[in-house]
Amino acid sequence: MAQNTQTFSESWYRIANQRISLRLGIKTRRQNFRGERWIVLADPFSNQFYRLRPAAYEFVSRLRPDRTVDDVWKECVERFPDEVPGQESVIQLLSQLYHSNLLQYDLAADSAQLFERYSKRRQRETRARLLQIMFMRFPLLDPDRFLVRTLPYIGKLIGIFGALLWLGVVGMGVKVVLDNFSVLKDQSQSVLAPDNIFLLYAGMIVIKTLHEFGHAYFCRKFGGEVHTMGLMLLIFTPIPYMDATSSWGFRSRWKRVLVGAAGMIVEVFFAAIAALIWARTGEGAVHTLAYNIMFIASVSTLLFNINPLLRFDGYYILSDLLDIPNLHQRSGRHLKHLVEHFAFGVKNSESPARTRREAGLLTFFGIAAGIYRIVVFATILLFVADQFLLVGLIMVVMCLVSWLIVPIGKLIKYLSSSPKLERCRLRANLVVIALAATILVVLQVIPFRNHIRAPGVLEATHWAQVTLEASGDVAEVLAKPGQPVKAGQPLIRLTNHQLELELGRARSQYREIEARIRAAMQLDSANLKPLESSLVAARKRVERFESDLDAMTLRARQDGLWVAPGIENYIGRWVSRGTSLGLLVDPSEFTFTAVVSQDDSDILFKNRIQSAQVRFPGEAGTRVLVKSWNIIPAEQNMLSTPALGWAGGGPIPVDSSDSQGLRTSEPFFRVECDVPIVDQLAMVHGRTGKIRFRIDDEPLLSRWLRRFRQLLQKRYQF
Amino acid sequence: MTPTQQYRRTWYRKPKKLLTGLDAMVHGGIGCFQRRATAFSRIRKNAEKVDAMAGKWKDLNDHHLRAALLDFRGQFRRGGKSADEVLLPALAAIREASDRQLGLRPFVVQLMGALALNEGNLAEMATGEGKTLTAGVAAVLAGWTKRPVHVITVNDYLVKRDPDWLRALYKFCGVRVGCVTGEMSPDERRQGYNCDVTYATSKEVLADFLRDRIQLGPVQEPARQLILELLNPRAHRRQGVVMRGLHAAIVDEADSVLIDEAVTPLIISAPRENEALKSVVRVANEIAKPLEKGAHYKINVQYREVEVSKAGRELVEENCSDLPGFWKSEDRRMELVRQSLVAREFYQLGKQYIIDNGKIVIVDEFTGRPMPNRSWRQGMHQAIEAKEEIEITDPTETIARLSHQRFFRFYNKLSGMTGTAREAASEFWQIYKLPVISIPTNRPCIRGVQPDHIFSNEEDKWQAIVNEIVAQHATGRPILVGTRSVFASENLAKRLQDKGVSFRLLNAVHHGEEAGIITTAGEPGRITIATNMAGRGTDIKLGRGMAAIGGLHVIATERHESGRVDRQLFGRSARQGDPGSAIAFVSAEDELIKRHLKPFSKSVMNLGLGGGALGKRSLSKWAFKTAQDKAQKMAFKQRKSVLRMDTWMEEALGFTGAQDM
Repeated sequence: MAQNTQTFSESWYRIANQRISLRLGIKTRRQNFRGERWIVLADPFSNQFYRLRPAAYEFVSRLRPDRTVDDVWKECVERFPDEVPGQESVIQLLSQLYHSNLLQYDLAADSAQLFERYSKRRQRETRARLLQIMFMRFPLLDPDRFLVRTLPYIGKLIGIFGALLWLGVVGMGVKVVLDNFSVLKDQSQSVLAPDNIFLLYAGMIVIKTLHEFGHAYFCRKFGGEVHTMGLMLLIFTPIPYMDATSSWGFRSRWKRVLVGAAGMIVEVFFAAIAALIWARTGEGAVHTLAYNIMFIASVSTLLFNINPLLRFDGYYILSDLLDIPNLHQRSGRHLKHLVEHFAFGVKNSESPARTRREAGLLTFFGIAAGIYRIVVFATILLFVADQFLLVGLIMVVMCLVSWLIVPIGKLIKYLSSSPKLERCRLRANLVVIALAATILVVLQVIPFRNHIRAPGVLEATHWAQVTLEASGDVAEVLAKPGQPVKAGQPLIRLTNHQLELELGRARSQYREIEARIRAAMQLDSANLKPLESSLVAARKRVERFESDLDAMTLRARQDGLWVAPGIENYIGRWVSRGTSLGLLVDPSEFTFTAVVSQDDSDILFKNRIQSAQVRFPGEAGTRVLVKSWNIIPAEQNMLSTPALGWAGGGPIPVDSSDSQGLRTSEPFFRVECDVPIVDQLAMVHGRTGKIRFRIDDEPLLSRWLRRFRQLLQKRYQF
Repeated sequence: MTPTQQYRRTWYRKPKKLLTGLDAMVHGGIGCFQRRATAFSRIRKNAEKVDAMAGKWKDLNDHHLRAALLDFRGQFRRGGKSADEVLLPALAAIREASDRQLGLRPFVVQLMGALALNEGNLAEMATGEGKTLTAGVAAVLAGWTKRPVHVITVNDYLVKRDPDWLRALYKFCGVRVGCVTGEMSPDERRQGYNCDVTYATSKEVLADFLRDRIQLGPVQEPARQLILELLNPRAHRRQGVVMRGLHAAIVDEADSVLIDEAVTPLIISAPRENEALKSVVRVANEIAKPLEKGAHYKINVQYREVEVSKAGRELVEENCSDLPGFWKSEDRRMELVRQSLVAREFYQLGKQYIIDNGKIVIVDEFTGRPMPNRSWRQGMHQAIEAKEEIEITDPTETIARLSHQRFFRFYNKLSGMTGTAREAASEFWQIYKLPVISIPTNRPCIRGVQPDHIFSNEEDKWQAIVNEIVAQHATGRPILVGTRSVFASENLAKRLQDKGVSFRLLNAVHHGEEAGIITTAGEPGRITIATNMAGRGTDIKLGRGMAAIGGLHVIATERHESGRVDRQLFGRSARQGDPGSAIAFVSAEDELIKRHLKPFSKSVMNLGLGGGALGKRSLSKWAFKTAQDKAQKMAFKQRKSVLRMDTWMEEALGFTGAQDM
């Protein structure tokens, strides 16, 4: 620091005789940040802010049009000998004030230069807009007058009364939500359905407008001006925004925090109202709209607004709470300092952090925000690319440019020509090259353990369905489910009164025919023949009914485990013939049938599998090593059990038009594996699990490239 | 004076912003294209055409020749197409006039040089190829336009000598010539600038320009001045202005003016009371006294900086009770102490300065000449005074400042000449938009440059130099020994005195005598010891019979930061087809190596010095080359930072109005 700010400057003559002062109308306020005093200069016309240390302000505040800069500086030297900024610092300070348009000077400035500055600023703004393509802003109107006019009415809500009202409504809303949580959850599945998109967007516009007005009214209430309202294209979705940055000039940090949180406060309030409406209306537009408002308010608040890692409300709130203004830039600078100091060996690199705690905070925040940002943007990118191919591609290219090519270019420029690295350029370059090489080696050369995972279902190799051979009411379960049974052992007893009656009738008929035959033998033998055939028929009926009645007792056809989930529910109920009531499973041999995505098919058929393990949810510790596997070399698209598909809560996407939930949306390969019996594990027929195939070790980069190619192929048929 | 004339008087071209990024690359590409052979062959063809016209002009008598020349002048004055058309015949006529008035007939290569200058190029002409005459011919062409033409040379002696020497030619061609030197009064200067062609050093031109700017006050723009004057006739401030605008410049020794000197901007300053500083330097010196090198601070030779260790800081803190409040804070007091230490470590009596009448006088490191009116920047000068325990003078304060890079871009038409331009060709183009055109020599050069002699320590080197001088002296050849500093030249003088060899020592004398000594340095058996820049621009004429025994022998006692300076020294011998030889003696303890070689490279070089003859030569050659490259890079960076400073000032302090002060 001391090395680049000399007390005396050779350029002092440029400003020594200038008569300048702060522009009229510049407002000054005191703020405290982490126990340090700062002076904030605010330009009410442009809503620009400039922060000064008190020592610098002492100097700036003394500048007057009737005194030269030199006079003022000398006076300051006499008055505050130990705090006055050096000449070089003064020059820098004045230049910054000049660039923030805070200075008043009597000489007509070079107008060409003013124009140049203006066009440069425009260029910068355009560039920033292009680079921030996901958050483009278009200012439209000035809502300040409207706000001032309506504030007397709405502003009353901002206070104790409003807070109580808010607590009441939100409390009721939360209760309603908790009461109806399961219904709420069910409905969430259809929120992104095509027929709901319009309502969803309408809800978003409503809630976001309210959100922005929340910021605006809070800001206005505390005396800040709100001059810009416009449209922001958040991931190409137009939503309103307002500029409440004048709150940065507030002295009280709690007011700043409140303005930052105002959007969410309003949003949650209206979400609660929406919840109340939702709970009290039946199916219909109002009901759905209310639901959408609730959904947006909660999801967007959680994912974006309250999250400090992206630069939305939460970030500003956190920044105020921690008392670290410009948290983002400072953490960036701090990380850069860490790299420069420790990796590159720049001796005079300085961290913006003043305390150890702040340094820790900045480090943590910088890294966390970086990672979160990458994750969120990658997700957004994939989502958008998925929805709109062309737009997605353009976005991918722009993002590549702004997040990869531009930073790499900057890095190269920084490494090759930053004056900071003057004395350790070699080391800096070596460190970067070594790091890049290490990453490349790790990714490209060192093979990593490699797995593919697939869902599947455990089935006994031999099993039989226990199917009813006759209809009837289930009277009694004779064999306890879950017990091994022998062949012929009765399992279930049915009763069928009609059958018994029928049998009785058939028997009576038989007896009647018998009697008639006896009579005929005595009277006329001519009728004997048909009667005899009737008797045969009657006997057959009796026999049939008898066997049917016999079948009322269902017996095991083979040895095995008697599995009948929910059989108790059948007791007393009528069950028709052909219904399956349970299974007879041979527990000595099990097969795991895995459903392998076609993405991994090349691995399957190239014989690269080394071993395989099966795991079941809920029993993470136990792994079953599979002895052998058999790949069925044909594409299939019907699942063996709906439990694997989306419809049954499984991981595999299924065709929504299939009511059984068995047809998958893309073809797969079946792999059948013999699973040994493991004592600790409940080997249950039909249990779903996951299989993990260990395949040849492979470097990460080639693996990622393959995945990427598959992604392209799958999504865009490249 | 008409308003237009008034306007012109203070007008200068606003230089365009220097290009950056891709634009600069494209621009660099254009520069390469401009340097290509076609431009050269066009110039050569034209020069040959001029040469072919000679017959026509030879037969004309003086009266008619003069009439024709004045006619050409009129056409040039009117400018436009007609001037371009008559360029070649006009040049042929000037050539004829030169032959008659000076007895010197410009060679074809000199005509080429003049054409190149006229087109606004940088003509690369070997030393001793008659650059003065070339510049004269080009200046006549430019002077005919009646717009101000400045011929920039390296020292005041040449400023006076060159126009005197060429006066007859100028007069005959109808061009008024004048000069401006350091000791002139403002009125004399005004007269000098009022001539069609003005000779001056870059320092004077820059200083006059800046003084004019100061004279003009806050309103610099000519149009605004005129309006101001119309509104308030008494307000006009152009009375004291000495220049009459900037139009064309022909820069002799362009590399030293535009590149070497561009490292530091020209600063006009005045002593100004600064009690805050004055009162404290002595205390600072006392505080810094107990600090020891190694234990309390480290020095960085390459960057001329001092780094105070923690122990040093603590020691300073203990002793700082005498400092006044303003200087008490850690940063301020360390700044002072550091300055004292820099004064102690890097400024040595006899090398960087001498004490004359109880005052510090800066010695120019290149020429060895004392510079009585110069001072180091605020604080540094006082720190040195405190160190020497002499009276502390008032620190000087900058009043105006201008970099060479910026100033020379003000000229509408800049051209230049130098012996060594190739290495810096891209810089000439990037900054000054000067394409380099190489002009061939009139006669082939037969200089024998021997390989460097390399020694591991300085003592051995000086011993060997003395031996070499004695040995060469025995053959009767004249010898010129170039030293880097006054200190070194005196050291060598003492050694030679001990040997009983007679010699002439050139240091800290005036240009006139200097040139006299240099001119006679070619006499038989003459030994001349001079700093490298001494008597630049003066020919060393060989004495009778000297060519036969090998001509002038140049001995360089050290290599310089820039290979160009080395070559300029070597260029003192073997001029215009004469024979000559040159050799350099270097050692591992030379300033160049000490300052610019990293420890690793140093150890490689020492390894080389210990090894066999072949390894020794190639390794140390590599080491010296590396050191020179490093030094060049650093100088380039300094020049760039001067430029950056310019741009920054312009942008950051726009509210101060006057930009070029």
